[in-house]
Amino acid sequence: MLSMKNISKVYQSELVETHALREFNLQVSEGEFVVVTGPSGSGKTTFLNVAGLLEGFSQGEYLLDGVDVSSVSDNESARIRNEKIGFIFQGFNLIPDLNLAENIEVPLRYRGFDSKERKRRVEQALEQVGLASRLKHLPPQLSGGQQQRVAIARALAGEPRFLLADEPTGNLDSLMARQVMELLENINQAGTTIIMVTHDPELARRAQRNVQIVDGQVCDFTSYQKSRSTTSTTAEPA
Amino acid sequence: MFFYYLDMGWRSIRKTPVLSALMVLAISIGIGITITSLNIYQVMAFNPAAERSDQLHAVQLWSQGPDTWDDYSTIITYQDAMHLRTGAIPRAQAAMFRTGQAIQSDNPDVLPELRSVRVTDSGFFSLFSVPFLHGGAWTEVVDQQPAYEIVIGKAVSQKYFGKVNSVGEVLYLNRKPYQVVGVIDDWNPSPKYYDPTNGSFNDAESLFVPFSLAPVEEFAVWGNTNGWQFEPMVTYGDRLVSEKSWVLFWADLADEQAREDYRAWIQSYIEQQQEMGRFTDTAKADVQLADVAKWLEVNKVLRKDNKILVALSALFLCVCLVNILGLLLTKFLKRAPEVGVRRAIGASRRQIFAQHMVEVTLIGLLGGALGLLWAWGLLHVLTERFHMDDALTRLDATLWFITPSIAMGAALLAGLYPAWVICRTQPSVYLKSQ
Repeated sequence: MLSMKNISKVYQSELVETHALREFNLQVSEGEFVVVTGPSGSGKTTFLNVAGLLEGFSQGEYLLDGVDVSSVSDNESARIRNEKIGFIFQGFNLIPDLNLAENIEVPLRYRGFDSKERKRRVEQALEQVGLASRLKHLPPQLSGGQQQRVAIARALAGEPRFLLADEPTGNLDSLMARQVMELLENINQAGTTIIMVTHDPELARRAQRNVQIVDGQVCDFTSYQKSRSTTSTTAEPA
Repeated sequence: MFFYYLDMGWRSIRKTPVLSALMVLAISIGIGITITSLNIYQVMAFNPAAERSDQLHAVQLWSQGPDTWDDYSTIITYQDAMHLRTGAIPRAQAAMFRTGQAIQSDNPDVLPELRSVRVTDSGFFSLFSVPFLHGGAWTEVVDQQPAYEIVIGKAVSQKYFGKVNSVGEVLYLNRKPYQVVGVIDDWNPSPKYYDPTNGSFNDAESLFVPFSLAPVEEFAVWGNTNGWQFEPMVTYGDRLVSEKSWVLFWADLADEQAREDYRAWIQSYIEQQQEMGRFTDTAKADVQLADVAKWLEVNKVLRKDNKILVALSALFLCVCLVNILGLLLTKFLKRAPEVGVRRAIGASRRQIFAQHMVEVTLIGLLGGALGLLWAWGLLHVLTERFHMDDALTRLDATLWFITPSIAMGAALLAGLYPAWVICRTQPSVYLKSQ
């Protein structure tokens, strides 16, 4: 489903060359819940950006859903992000001037859905995260946990194959964090592949699989068998 | 998506009212000034003869003595005009000048008034395509044998006779009875190209009498009289035989051949006159046939400083656009985190670019609307405070439609770079930092 082979990502300035990812190898199968951990500056977010086609990479091969995305155009990247990937961010990244329904329908508009389909998907997504009654509220009128649930609803509305979450509980208290984690687990159980970056060891333990990144490389691998199904674990430490 | 972008644009404008107002104001001032100068330029540069512009020709003669005037006079002598009137080459021709007469009718309720009257030939009406409502011009016989006949405008007819069709009625000019032979519709070419000498944008006359009556009635000249030598002017007859220029002459010449033939015919007349001691500047004595475009240029209807004014106002608009560009860049870059999110969740660069260009267009439209009000106000001030001709300061109808287009086009131009910059936002830069 997601296969990275020997991926390198180098940030180059006039004086400094920074290797954010080096010889990075990872394979994620459909339906997995993978948690990515590692110290600050290890390359977790860079990995997530590359995985989500938000950034390109310097070397290597990346197959997403069986398609080589190494040299796709910007438009094609945008289309893949829109149709196949859902993003959840630590800072929620909701558009403050749009109400919840409008926030959720943003990716649906770019996908070209008509208003009827958008409405159906928005209501369904809000229902899924338990905020169906807050359709017309603006993000600042909600708590942090609620905002993150809206962000999840926005990611889910497009019915993506992947959810990429960058420290989704980082700005939440422990209770809210647990609720969000439970929500993500439910989404995963419904079949969506999730890759989540976190610093929280408790959350990391709850995932099926834990990938650790140090200095831009996958350096350790731990599998937690949380469900009945056994998922193939093919991450290869570099 | 257009309406979505429009909605987003409108929300963005409302979200940053001060910045948006500054942009709208900047573009409106630039547009207002540009449209004001463009309006004046357009009115001045308009050629009312349209497709007949290169057929109608004003005749100019170098009849002055040596070392006198540096250029052709726009008017000719009465004796030359009388000779030109005998020409057979033009399809139509007319000598003319402006006079003033006290007008009254038999209607005691309408007080007499002093009005401009055009003294001309019957050819005037076909030359300048004057639209008749009733009757027509006097006959060509009257051009040779004076008769007290008159062509009047619709408004004059209504005022003095209480009806539009007053053909056959009698109107008094300086107490002389003139029979109305034709009533014309509203006709007011601007610029007043057939005689721009006394104000290029004055109203056209609405009273016309035969040129053949001039020596009989000794009409005073309400216009220029040019002279280049001392001549005693005791009687009206002295004026008629003098070298004083005060008559305009127009001829309708169909094509180049007609122009050449006409030029040769006049040239032979000049040679005859030289034998009689006239046209003494032998090196330069010649004829110039000015078509309408050339005639407007000769009479400086469109002055060079108007062109400079338009160029300067366009430059000012450019300065406004540079300011708007800066403001847009500030506004758009402030929104980069939101654009980052939009890009991350599937917006292409083209969609981001389009969204911002629609917002810019909206700002341009608002600026254009306000700019029109500025232009309208400025033209009003020019009329009221600086007594500029009303014809020049009337906002041309087409500009009501063109102005918003210019404003939107200008705004789009200013918005190109900021929209291009924002659409190239790297989403990952802003997602973590929000």
